Amino acid sequence: MSTRTDETQMNDQTLEHRHLALEERSRALFHASVDNVDMAMRSRLTQARHAALEAAGRSGRRSWLMRMPVLAPAAGVTAAAVLGVALWFGTPFGHNAVKSADQSNFEDLDIVAASDEGTGDTMEMLQDDIDFYDWADKTAGSDPAA
Amino acid sequence: MPRFDTLNTAWMVWDDPAPAPQGAVLEQTRELDKFLAEIERRAFRMAQVALRDPDDSLDVVQDAMLKLARSYSTRPSAEWRPLFYRILENGIRDLQRRRSVRKRFMTWLPGPKEDPDNEAQDPIDSVADTAPAAPDRLMQDQAMQKLESSLRELPARQREAFMLRNFEGLDVAATATAMGCSEGSVKTHYSRAVHTLREQLGEVW
Repeated sequence: MSTRTDETQMNDQTLEHRHLALEERSRALFHASVDNVDMAMRSRLTQARHAALEAAGRSGRRSWLMRMPVLAPAAGVTAAAVLGVALWFGTPFGHNAVKSADQSNFEDLDIVAASDEGTGDTMEMLQDDIDFYDWADKTAGSDPAA
Repeated sequence: MPRFDTLNTAWMVWDDPAPAPQGAVLEQTRELDKFLAEIERRAFRMAQVALRDPDDSLDVVQDAMLKLARSYSTRPSAEWRPLFYRILENGIRDLQRRRSVRKRFMTWLPGPKEDPDNEAQDPIDSVADTAPAAPDRLMQDQAMQKLESSLRELPARQREAFMLRNFEGLDVAATATAMGCSEGSVKTHYSRAVHTLREQLGEVW
């Protein structure tokens, strides 16, 4: 009986020893493989780490602002008020817009007129006007009713 | 005269604590950077044991870094390690599931098949390397390949328990946090992993 117990104990110890040996060897191999990670991959890991920290920092700042319970509704109310005032009083460019439209019409006419200058048609029209006003003067003088 | 009660309740209710002053945030970021720098290569190798592909491994490691930095950077630094590995293992498992689904899907389709688990040997790998390799280094690499292959064949939970306890040095409690299971389960998974590896790797190894 005691022999069997001794044998069992020895087997258990041997097994435990072997397990320990496996743990140690596998650990050593793993750490050696970590040390052997090449420079290219180490560089990529560094870049990945920096990118992750930067992205987390950015999202942290954004989420903090969004978490503020007062700013968001206040900003909304302010924006609505500004819009309301703008619609009530009209845009500051409304009148100017009309004016500028009229102005642009005149400018168009000027452009058109300028484009007609010097042409034969313009001179002929001018002569017709002069003849008309002469006739109008003469007629006005002989009219018994005037 | 009517009496007016004093306003006792705060008119501003914060969902989360107010952001820490600039200096504290900077210090925390530095601490986190230091922690991640210390852990990143081991995490990468552990991911590579599970996934094989180095690009996939890098992706899950970066994802874990980002999630830890975003969601858990304010936790005590003693919690970062098990939390990081929990996120990492979840990422590894998700990727393995996606690969499994994709593999099943691809078998139904005609045409050349993808090899999501990189099981097919790259022809270049079979070409002998003419550069003389140090014998020790060669033996070490071969032994590591054999270990990796055996680890990959283990059930996921046994592999996780073995790598976290043995490679990362987490104690039973921290491993249980990382694995999201009880300490008793950790011991069971670990014990079975050691037993299986012992049988597969044999006396010589």
